[in-house]
Amino acid sequence: MSALARIFHKGLVRNIPKSITFYSVTAEKKDDDEFRVLNLKVTKGRSAQRRKPYKANILPPRTTQMPVDQDWGSVWPGPRTFHPATVPLPIRQGYVEKGASPDKYGNPELMKIPNFLHVTPPVVKRQCEALKKFCTPWPKTLDTDEKCEKFFPIEVTYSSYCHSSPTIRDPLARIVTLKMKLSSLKLDDHARDKFRRLIGDRYDEKTDTFTIVTDRCPTRKQNYEYAMYLLTAVYHESWAVEPWETLKSEADMEYYDWNNNASKKTVEQMFKKEAKDIENINEYITAVSSLMNEGESDYTVNNYGLAVRKLLNLPIENT
Amino acid sequence: MSINNIKQSLFKLSQFQQHTKYAIHTTAACHKSQAGRYRITPKKDFPLTYEMANPPHQIAHRKSWNSWNTSSTEGGLRTSETAVEDMFIRKFMKGTWHGLFMSEIIIKRQHNMIRIAGIVLQSISSRKMYFLIGYTEELLSFWLQCPTKLELQTVSDKKDVVFKYI
Repeated sequence: MSALARIFHKGLVRNIPKSITFYSVTAEKKDDDEFRVLNLKVTKGRSAQRRKPYKANILPPRTTQMPVDQDWGSVWPGPRTFHPATVPLPIRQGYVEKGASPDKYGNPELMKIPNFLHVTPPVVKRQCEALKKFCTPWPKTLDTDEKCEKFFPIEVTYSSYCHSSPTIRDPLARIVTLKMKLSSLKLDDHARDKFRRLIGDRYDEKTDTFTIVTDRCPTRKQNYEYAMYLLTAVYHESWAVEPWETLKSEADMEYYDWNNNASKKTVEQMFKKEAKDIENINEYITAVSSLMNEGESDYTVNNYGLAVRKLLNLPIENT
Repeated sequence: MSINNIKQSLFKLSQFQQHTKYAIHTTAACHKSQAGRYRITPKKDFPLTYEMANPPHQIAHRKSWNSWNTSSTEGGLRTSETAVEDMFIRKFMKGTWHGLFMSEIIIKRQHNMIRIAGIVLQSISSRKMYFLIGYTEELLSFWLQCPTKLELQTVSDKKDVVFKYI
């Protein structure tokens, strides 16, 4: 009984290290498909097995099996780096002093440059067709630019920026520019004058437009709303007449107004009737106003002379 | 000590300071005449890739950039962050794909997408390569908080990318 127990005990003792070696052997005997195991307890004496160079079983490039009439849009559906086995074109890139450029296989230059293989004309056409159902037709009555300007007088401009970075925020995207023709606002003489004084150098006389640029708020929406607020405020303010505005005298006038000036009184005295009843008076008014407002030049002085002759019924010189 | 003496000594001190200021470089030396250029070996058997064969001044003439992003445009955002991230990606790729990349690592960014391209040797099994692609994409996307894609091309031999021997 005791002998049997001893044998059993012996066997147990003998078996334990055996099983350990068994496991370690399996760990070394792995096939090449597995990652190597980090062996911290380096056992000396056993030289590391020399790894055979891995020989991959590589299929021939996909381009050899491609039918001529394949649908390229489904082969290359999105933006992607160039791959020689997928693109069936004999492309070459690179500079060689003598001889042909390097071909497409193993050519990093072709992988660097951005390609447009995903936006070939048929694909663009197909995508436009797909997007068409989300578009609304252009209003038929808005066929000319004049009509667009008339019914939509305010022009708002802003920029969106696409960066290659994880943030979609760009501080420049907040800037909103509002453009409008002064003639499209309902203003009388006083209000127009005041409007121009309020907006100052934002008005361009050549095109009769004024421009409001807002960039003080952090977002575009706020800036747009602020621009609209400014427009409203300036419009209503220009219509308001303050009590001190009646004190404006001839010396404060920024331009020559014939109706307020001595010329009108003199003409009325001479003809002994109201200015509006005098013949050829309108031509005379424009001639005098242009002479005073635009300054003396051959053209304005000649015009003035002609107008005076017409007004006073004098013979016109044929020069 | 007269005022003149003090003046003279101050002048000397300032001169000394000027010299010391110019003697110490606080930035890395550029080595413009050496960087990116390779010396011809006696046996003319040193392999060069196309990238190595063209020195840096040929960028935009014979070869193009390895990083493509908008941070260097006027008003470009995240200039330094992009550069540091690109450097990190390069180091990570070099370590993860040890001895496998046969070309430079090309990093192209579009919006928040980072696309990493390059030429890899077919010296590991496809299973390992798929694992490494997934591992790299997953980890880089997590760290950079951007979708990252690996677009690789494989070559069977190192000689496939060799442009010339010098």
